[in-house]
Amino acid sequence: MRDKKNLSLETGRSRLSDFLPKIIVPFGILTLWIVVSELRLVRPIFVPPPENVWKSFVGMYRLLPKAILTTVVMTLSGFGIGVGFGTISGLVMAYNKAIRDFLGTIFDFTRPVPVFALIPLFILWFGIGRAPQIALIALGTSVVLGVTTLEAIRNVPTIYIRAALTLGAGRQRIYSTVIVPYIVPHLIGAIRVAAAASWGLDVAAEFMGSQTGLGYLIVMQQIYLRTAGIVMLVAIYSVLAVIFDTLIARLEERITPWTERRSSIGVVASIVGSG
Amino acid sequence: MDSLTRGRDDPAKIQIEHLSFSYPDKQERRVNVIDDLSLSLFDHEFLAIVGASGCGKTTLLNIIAGLLPPRVGKLFLDGQEIKGPGLDRTMVFQDDAVFPWYTVHGNVEYGLRISKTKKEERERQVAHYLDLVGLSGCDALFPRQLSGGMRKRVDVARAIITKPEVLLMDEPFASLDVMTKEKLQEQFLKIWNETRMTVVFVTHDLEEALFMADRVVVMVSHPGRISRIVSVPFDRPRTKDLKTFAEFQAMRRDLGHVLDADQEHST
Repeated sequence: MRDKKNLSLETGRSRLSDFLPKIIVPFGILTLWIVVSELRLVRPIFVPPPENVWKSFVGMYRLLPKAILTTVVMTLSGFGIGVGFGTISGLVMAYNKAIRDFLGTIFDFTRPVPVFALIPLFILWFGIGRAPQIALIALGTSVVLGVTTLEAIRNVPTIYIRAALTLGAGRQRIYSTVIVPYIVPHLIGAIRVAAAASWGLDVAAEFMGSQTGLGYLIVMQQIYLRTAGIVMLVAIYSVLAVIFDTLIARLEERITPWTERRSSIGVVASIVGSG
Repeated sequence: MDSLTRGRDDPAKIQIEHLSFSYPDKQERRVNVIDDLSLSLFDHEFLAIVGASGCGKTTLLNIIAGLLPPRVGKLFLDGQEIKGPGLDRTMVFQDDAVFPWYTVHGNVEYGLRISKTKKEERERQVAHYLDLVGLSGCDALFPRQLSGGMRKRVDVARAIITKPEVLLMDEPFASLDVMTKEKLQEQFLKIWNETRMTVVFVTHDLEEALFMADRVVVMVSHPGRISRIVSVPFDRPRTKDLKTFAEFQAMRRDLGHVLDADQEHST
């Protein structure tokens, strides 16, 4: 019993020390911000004081729910399509050589192309509205995931495949019972990077001819040189992105309870940064 | 003793005829790993293959498993030519081959799911085989929560639950510490005494080979071939005390000289 109590104390303490930086850092930035603007170190047009940001929030708050909803729906649709398409392309590329040669070449050509440069073309092809924006986000995400998936499959240790083969598994079975479970934790990193990128892609997409959404509101604020409004909207984007990233991390813990990482403790954990 | 009383004309479980195998090296030359090897395995026989590293014993096992195709020669299982891997020849590997993403239960039932065994039957079998390897109650654990010896037992249970015609073991206990190794050797012999499946057991440990097997095949390298086949005369069931007997040690010494001569020859 006493051991158990000690253990919980231990974790309780580490939780607090984990939590502290997350309070101190934003608080420090806020203080710095207040000091800078109160002392008029920088002109308010560049760094608006906190109260102006708050005022612009109050002034715009009726517009915000709809804008946030539009942006979230748009980003998540593009991200979802991109992750799905990218992962499936990676899997079929590994499965079949003909598909690999074909799709692989397409990926090789599209990967280095700056996606933002395609925005005018997308508007031309898909028109103004949600379709080109979702397509843009989906493209950006799927390229990252297609390449990562293929790479992760190539790294599956052969011992697992040999074991499955001697236990009578065929090609398809090996894909569903060995390759997919093995690559999932390896894809999470790419998925988080892609998630972060998809918010950026959304902003870019909304800059080019959108009628609603947070990115559109940013453009409007920019036209009237309302820096406070821009800061406020950027903050909302950040909050959305952080929430989304946290959700993905939580989901990962749920679906991959088996990874070695979960059991690293002590010095090893401190070296690999998982403690 | 079974293998001594059994006649040579009994139908072989596994028949290997004039097998040769070579890997291409960096200069695209073929390097002979196995050269014109013929061997018969009897039903219910425990056969050990020993040899220095590089003598082709693991390659031979992979060819029997169907993971590698023979370059020359043919292999038969119950008179049928071996053309690829199958559930009738499962394998226990030297490295950790337990799937980390499945629980102990999920790993052990893997082969039964492949062969589409009904769920109730699977549950019954998994419980039985977990009990057999002494892992009852560990069903829900993930491999990362087990010790190396326990993972090896999961691997063994996973391979024998499908009741293979032949169980192939590639230095299964080589990565374990001495105490765990001895425990697992005894435990596996006990399981084998109950099931009497045909086993091909590759090892570089002469003591292990003599302790476990009915016959010991000694392979030498460059190119890999059979130097001699020794029948092991000790009665079963065997306990680890057997390893201290003078007769056992004498056999171990003789086999050791054969391997030493091969080592000197190649270096």
